[in-house]
Amino acid sequence: MRIEITRTGGFAGLSRTWSLEVSRTEAEQRWLPLAEAEAGGTATGGTATGGAAADEPAAHQGSADVPGPPAPGQQRDRFTYRIAIGYTEVHLPEGRLEEPWRELIERAKGAGTADSRSKDAESGKPGELL
Amino acid sequence: MQRIHCSIVPPHLLTRLAALRDPRLSVAARAARHALQELDPLLQVRSEALRAPVRRGTAIAGTLTRRIYDAGGQEELPGRLVRGEGAFATGDPAADEAYDGLGSTYQLFSEEYGRSSIDGAGKPLEATVHYGTNYDNAFWDGERMVFGDGDGEIFGRFTASLTVISHELTHGFTQYSTNLVYQGQSGALNESLSDVFGVLVEQRNLGQDADTASWLVGAGIFTQQVEGTALRSLKAPGTAYDDDVLGKDPQPAVMADYVQTASDNGGVHINSGIPNHAFYLAATTLGGRAWEGAGRVWYDAVLSGSIPPDCDFPTFATATTEAAARRFGTGSREADAVSGAWSQVGVLR
Repeated sequence: MRIEITRTGGFAGLSRTWSLEVSRTEAEQRWLPLAEAEAGGTATGGTATGGAAADEPAAHQGSADVPGPPAPGQQRDRFTYRIAIGYTEVHLPEGRLEEPWRELIERAKGAGTADSRSKDAESGKPGELL
Repeated sequence: MQRIHCSIVPPHLLTRLAALRDPRLSVAARAARHALQELDPLLQVRSEALRAPVRRGTAIAGTLTRRIYDAGGQEELPGRLVRGEGAFATGDPAADEAYDGLGSTYQLFSEEYGRSSIDGAGKPLEATVHYGTNYDNAFWDGERMVFGDGDGEIFGRFTASLTVISHELTHGFTQYSTNLVYQGQSGALNESLSDVFGVLVEQRNLGQDADTASWLVGAGIFTQQVEGTALRSLKAPGTAYDDDVLGKDPQPAVMADYVQTASDNGGVHINSGIPNHAFYLAATTLGGRAWEGAGRVWYDAVLSGSIPPDCDFPTFATATTEAAARRFGTGSREADAVSGAWSQVGVLR
């Protein structure tokens, strides 16, 4: 099962994406329960965040700002992580990032998936980095 | 339930970043750092301080207190104190750049605008350097500035650009003045204030007029392997970088190109391009020292009480126009330059 991690924000405002493959067992037993436990308003399930999401911004032209994860406290220029496990997503501000999410992110950063570079480039999906 | 949206960052940015497989970019250890543009931080400030700046009479002499800490590669704050106010240089470029940059930023607010430190009450200024491992960011944590060393592949150390230091410290100034909510348009204004006063600190240090300044934020923090010049441009938002590694700078310059996104707190680092460019237009219309004309107006507006925490672009534009009229007169060239700038970027009619 593919887990995709996107980091946005930071002083530079650059978006970075990493991904890794885990077994369905690991995803279901370890990461999905954690993501759902994060819920409290930040995790979403179901198809609302499915494949069409990449096109969402165009549908919001002229509307108010799209709500996103709030910045914690008075911290400025920090990163925000979006972790997508299947159709479940969780948004975590860097300041709240603890184990085992850090382990997952480190694994994704270190993952050498060579699969999706050209394919994903064409579909607009991010691939693995560094 | 909160809806989650994917990043608005253009696909080409993601694909460029995804293509970072060049062996030269995959070194685990930090790559050789960018040859740094050493700034000459204090000499010009001191000579210019001899001029009689506009003051509001609130400056408190001798309240500059700096403390520089070293996190030693850990992510724990504040770290070990390595340089206090008046102490000799440490020899560590990051610590000494932070120390000098704090001083330059303090002096802009104190000597030009009469504000004693970021809170107006002489608050000591703290910075932590060498935060984390390969940490490619600089941030304001509500109390202090924090600087990473960069990953050595895309970013070198973040203290290498004075504008990064002054940007972060201005987040402190904003926190203690308007405290703009870090989301959407108010968040983009928060970011823009940091970019605006960030570049003004550098321009004042270098003695640059509006016409000769670079108007760049973050010049000098990319490694040599990256062909970007800077992270943002107030002069030409959207043009700061456009290269094989980073793709293209996504900042808009006008409201028609405003980017709707859930990422980055609603694109606070993206849509800041619009108020940034308005400031640039006002400053270059006026010419001369940007920190005295347009900078003075922006500062007045922030302290005027007419910028609420949830301020949107039109409210901010009106506040700056009114601030220009208050200080320089209704119908003054300053007031006209400011209102004209907001019209040009499509925020005011």
